[in-house]
Order: sequence, then C-alpha cells, then structure tokens
Amino acid sequence: MNKHHKKIPWIIKYRPRTVEEVVNQEEAKRLLTTWLSAWASGKKPAKRAALLYGPPGVGKTSLVEALAREYNFELLELNASDYRSAYAIRRTVGVAAFKKALFGKGIIILLDEIDGVATREDAGGLQELLKIIPETNNPIIMTANDPWKDQLRPLRDKVLLVQFKQLSMTQVMGVLQRICEKERLECEREALRLIAQLSQGDLRAAINDLEAIAEGYGKVTLALAKAILRGREKKSDIWRTLNQVFYAKAAWMAKRAVTNSEEDYETLMAWINDNIPRKYEEPGDLYRAYDALSRASLFLSRAKFKGYWSLLSYVFDLIGPGITYARKEGSILKLRYSYPERIKLMASLREVRQIRESLAQKLASRLLVSKSTVKNDILPILQTIFRYSKDLTYPARLVLGYELTKEEVKYLAGNKAEEIIELAEKIKRTRRIPREPEREEVREAPREQKRAPKKKKQERKGKTLDMFFS
Amino acid sequence: MSTAFDILWVEKYRPRSLDEIVNQEEIVNRLKTFVKNKNMPHLLFAGPAGTGKTTAAHALAHDLYGEYYRQYMLELNASDERGIGVIREKVKEFARSRTPPDIPFKIILLDEADNMTADAQQALRRLMELYSVSTRFILIANYPSKIIDPIQSRCAFFRFQPLKKDDVVARLKYIADNEGVEYDPEALETIYEISEGDMRKAINVLQAAAALGKVTVETVFKVVGMAKPKEVRQMIKTALNGDFTGARALLRKLMIEYGLSGEDIVKQIHREIFSNEIDIPEDLRILIADYIGEIHFRLVEGSDDDIQLSALLAWMSLVGRKLGVSG
Repeated sequence: MNKHHKKIPWIIKYRPRTVEEVVNQEEAKRLLTTWLSAWASGKKPAKRAALLYGPPGVGKTSLVEALAREYNFELLELNASDYRSAYAIRRTVGVAAFKKALFGKGIIILLDEIDGVATREDAGGLQELLKIIPETNNPIIMTANDPWKDQLRPLRDKVLLVQFKQLSMTQVMGVLQRICEKERLECEREALRLIAQLSQGDLRAAINDLEAIAEGYGKVTLALAKAILRGREKKSDIWRTLNQVFYAKAAWMAKRAVTNSEEDYETLMAWINDNIPRKYEEPGDLYRAYDALSRASLFLSRAKFKGYWSLLSYVFDLIGPGITYARKEGSILKLRYSYPERIKLMASLREVRQIRESLAQKLASRLLVSKSTVKNDILPILQTIFRYSKDLTYPARLVLGYELTKEEVKYLAGNKAEEIIELAEKIKRTRRIPREPEREEVREAPREQKRAPKKKKQERKGKTLDMFFS
Repeated sequence: MSTAFDILWVEKYRPRSLDEIVNQEEIVNRLKTFVKNKNMPHLLFAGPAGTGKTTAAHALAHDLYGEYYRQYMLELNASDERGIGVIREKVKEFARSRTPPDIPFKIILLDEADNMTADAQQALRRLMELYSVSTRFILIANYPSKIIDPIQSRCAFFRFQPLKKDDVVARLKYIADNEGVEYDPEALETIYEISEGDMRKAINVLQAAAALGKVTVETVFKVVGMAKPKEVRQMIKTALNGDFTGARALLRKLMIEYGLSGEDIVKQIHREIFSNEIDIPEDLRILIADYIGEIHFRLVEGSDDDIQLSALLAWMSLVGRKLGVSG
C-alpha cells in the first residue's frame, strides 16, 4: 500500500453531504430546517438554541454539517466536554455567540456531547451557557445521547428539542449495501445483516465494522464477519446490555441484547434484579418487571435442573422485552446502574450460612433434632440468650459447653461477642472442665467399628424379626 | 457441684433412660418389655413435635446397650440427608459395623421419616427387609399418614399424645427450681399455652426468658417475640405502604444478617400475613396468601431466592398502593 496515500476512514468518506442523504430522520430534518431558515432570514427564533438527542451514530452531527453547507453557515465545532468550566464556556461559546462572521455569513455553534458538561462538579459551565443562550446572535446547536439527566432540566426549557430516532436494521443494511457497491466490494447479504444486527442501530459502528472486515480481506462474507465481530460482540458490557433492555425501541432489540450478552444468565439476572428500581418507579411497572424476572428465573431453573434447554428462549423473552415493556405507566428514571448488592454480599452471605450450618451440625446431634430445627427453632433462642442475658457468664458457660468458635459466638451475640468470649476464656482458665465421657466415646467409636471384623450371620440365631409377624 | 460449662436445658434435662420418662406411661411400659426380652420389631413413633419420640428412642437404646449406646445406633434425619442414595450407603456401612455384645441387632433411627417422598420410602422398605437380620429401624414421624402402608405394616406402631398441661408445667417448675430461677407461676402456664404441648419448645422458652431475669408472663411474650426477626413484619408493612425499595432493603438484611433462606422468609411472611399485627382487610390476606403460594412454588422449583422475594415485595407494594392499605 502506498504510504503517502492518506486513507480516509469510511465514516468520513461516506458521511452524508446533503440533508437528503441523512437516513430516516425526517421529523428532525423538518424541525431543524424551519428553525435554521428563520435564522438565515434574519429573524431570530424564540428559542435560540437547539438540542439534538438520540442514540449514538444516527446522524446528529452529520445533519448539522449538511445543514450548514446547505444554508451557507460557518460551522464552529466545540467539543463541550473539553470546555466545562464557566470560564472556558465564556471564552469559547460566549465569544462565538456574539461574533459576526466574515462576509456576512452566519455562524452555527455546535456543542457536541453536552451531557458531558452537565456533571455536578461543573454546574458553573452549564449556568454560563444558560446565560448566553437567550442573548446569542448565532444559532447554538447541542447534541446529547441522554437529554433527560436532571442537571439538564433548566436547559431543556430554553431550547428546541429535536429527537433523532434509532435506525432500524434494514436502514443500516441499506447504507452498508450502498457502500459495498461504491467500494466495488463483494458483500454477502447475510454478513451485512449480522453487522447491522450487532450495531444496534448505530450506523457509525456498523460502517466501522464493515471497513474493518473489508480492509483485511477484500471481501465481506458471513464467516469473516462472524470471526471478526465476535470480539466486538463480547465487548458489549453489562451496562450496555442494560441500556439496550431498558431503552429498547422494539422487542427484538431487547431480546437480542440479552441473548448476545457475554454474562451468564444468573449474573445478568442479578444485575436486572437490582437495577429495575433504578429505572422504574411506578408500582405497576415495578410489579410487571419483577413478575417477568421471577418467571424467567423459574424457567431457567427448569431448564437447568430438568435439562429442558429449549426453555431458555423464554428466559430471554422475559428478561429482555419482558422488562422493557413492563413500563407502561411511569417515565424512566435516570439513576446510574448499580452493581448488584447480591453479588457484593454473596461472600458475607456464604459466611453466615456456613456459620449457621456448623452450629446446626454441632447442636443437632446433642439436642437430637434435625439441623433445620436447630436453624429455625434453636438458634433464635440462643441468640436471645446471648444478646439479652442479664448476666453474661451464662452464655459464656454455654460457649464452653458447646465448644463454640469465635465466629459462632459473633453470630449469636452480635456486639456482646467480645465480652462473652473474654468471660469464657477467664472461666476456662480458673476452673478445670471435666470432659463428658459419653461424647468422647462416641467420637472414638466409628474408627473402632471400621476395624472390627465382620460378624457371621450364624451368631445371631434365635431371635429374628419374624417372631413379631407370625 | 458446679462445673465451668453449661448446656442447654433441653439437653441437660432430657431423660436418659426409660425410667426417667414420666409421661407416656403406656408406651414406656411396652418399650421396657423390648429391653427385657432383648428383642424388638421395627418401630414407628408418631405424634406431634416435642412429645418425646426421639427421646424415647434414645432412652430405649440406652437401656438396651448401656451408657455408650450411640455406637450401636445410626442416627439419621430424613430432612438433613441428601436423598435415599445417601441413606442407603450409610445403612450399608453401618450394618457391617461391630455388633453389640449381648443384643443381636443394632438400631437405625430415622427421624422425620414423613419428610421422605413415597418413592424414597419404597426404597427404604427394601432396606428394612435387606438388613432385618442385623438391624432394627425406629422411624419417627409427625404425621403417620404420610408413611406408606407397606412400611406401617412392618412396624409396631406407637402413638405419642400431646403432653398434658400438668405434666409440662410440673416439668418446667422442676427445672426452674433446680436452676434457681425466679418465676411467676402463671408464666409457666403461659409457656405451656404458647408451646402447645411441645416440651422442647416450652423448655427453650423458659430458658430464654430466664436469661432476661425473673420469668413473668411479660418476659415470656417478649422472648417469643424476640425469637422472630422483627424485620419480617416491618418488611411486610413497608411493602404494603407502597415502598418497594425500603421493603427490599429489609429483605437483604434478613438474608444477610439472619442468614435466612428464601423459603424461611416466605414461610414467615405467610405466618405474619394472618396475624393481628398486620391490619389489612380479611379478604386481602387470602389474596396475598395465594400469591405467596405461587412464589413459594417457584422457589421450590429451584429459582433464585432474591428474585422471587423481590417479585413478591413488588406485588405487595402494588396491591398496597392500589388499595390504600398500610398494613
């Protein structure tokens, strides 16, 4: 390959040049064209800034660039996350807002990724922006993936909101097909379908993937696409999966998100379990979501324990679209996803269960009850004695009587544990503990039993069971 | 004489030999003839919890084999063993072990036998036949009707009656006096009523109440309340108030701090739903019980504890919010 030949990435090469070429955003085009033509004719619209929002890679920036070209505006692009403080905003946006372009051309100020500005620490930057917007002499256009962040609320009232829709699989495929034709590439339709599917409506990602395959192999086959994109598929991390479930625009998208997730079912379900209340708040929505998850868990256990693996498909139906479409009443909450408490606490849970098990083991044979009786009936009594005894020597003596370990005492006594353990040690030092002969014997017995030779049946003559059943 | 250690009173005051068993006279007399003849059939002890079934079995073995009887007795608890396969292995191993000097059989004690499925019981029946030369089974059950007929017909049947009030109170009095515990006499009657003839429960309540100081009706109720995690009730009320997140925080606490399993919690919720402490319309109790049953079923099927209980709480929050009840 010629080193001097500067290769242009396809996402730039095939960027829409005209408004016409931007795929599937008719409503956004209509809104923005009207708004910009007002600016162009010298009448400033009531809202002097616009906020374009929607998933990544659907053409927000491309449309602004195309419009600027069409209406002959100069485009001043600022990556908002680079200029977050009030001072930086004043120096950049503030200056541009009152600038007069050369030769009478208007200026469009494009602030990309405005959701990056609106973090709590940088509230100053947003405040500054709010001051500039009503005064600006030039149109300000901002983009965001998620405009519903709380911090963006004051901004939302002052701007024209323009929604960009997620692209469908067919639309993404159509664009890929056109690129293949222009590049004179041999492209299998099934390969394009897979790329489109994995892109989740993100055209930018799809074009990048197509280029990655074509670049290395000169053709795009399904086998190549599978081999190369598996890695990308894996990268789809848990947050992304959750986003795709909670924000899915169609049932198949949510189902695909959970089917493709690299996490195992249990982990995925633990994440969903903990994050439902971080996205939904209406009791009806919560109930429907949990009911779907609960039935999914039931199907999963049947699939696992009875080997009906075909049931897995329903698990995905329920934890994907089942969760998405559980929301019927409320709006979606903007809380960040949290790491499942369950997984965090698993270790301590395991520890408590082990302590309960070892206590049950110890006590069951002494009290002649089942372990489950110990756990449910005896341990609560012991806890009462260990926590609320007036005189702690009594629980201390029980510690010695049952040879309880420190962990076991901690479980039974809570914050009294230290005191009780100390007391027990003191008692042990001052008095000799007679060993219980019976228990010693029982411990020794099994070893002896194994060594004992088998007795012959003949020795047990005379009395047999039969005499009771004549 | 005082030693450095103590043990729980249920252990300390358990009769060791048949002579020490004061109630269940008729049963004790029949068991004593087995000791005298040095032979017995398979036995089935049935009756409510805490009436002395297990104690009688141990006392019988004690009287047969002497102080170190436990080496000649295999103790199994059906609810602790993992399936009939494990039981079969243990029985096989035990049947091979040393026989007692002057008794021609060893004892296999199978507690909570009614917790076994019918299939497992069929397998058990075959075990009983296979090893009948060298062993005798004592099966213990709360509900004899859950034991299959072929096993029942192979066993001598012993029905343990719920203990009488006088017997329980007398025993509690004996223990309290012996331990130097101060008590109001009516507190002991309260303990009997709460424990419904279950001696083990009665003694445990007495001991816990005694730990708090003088045993009064008040301390008895306090102890009974303490033995149940208060978070269960609180969790139900929070859920019925429509606060799902709050209720779930309490759920986590129950699972982590108390180490309760999903089934434990479901059962406790079920019990609470029908208590007076939860102030909801009567028909709602049924509705909730129905859904608890569904969740319980899903748990039994092996699904995830945390998810199922979250689902239950989410449903209760919805119902609570809709009907405007507050528990």
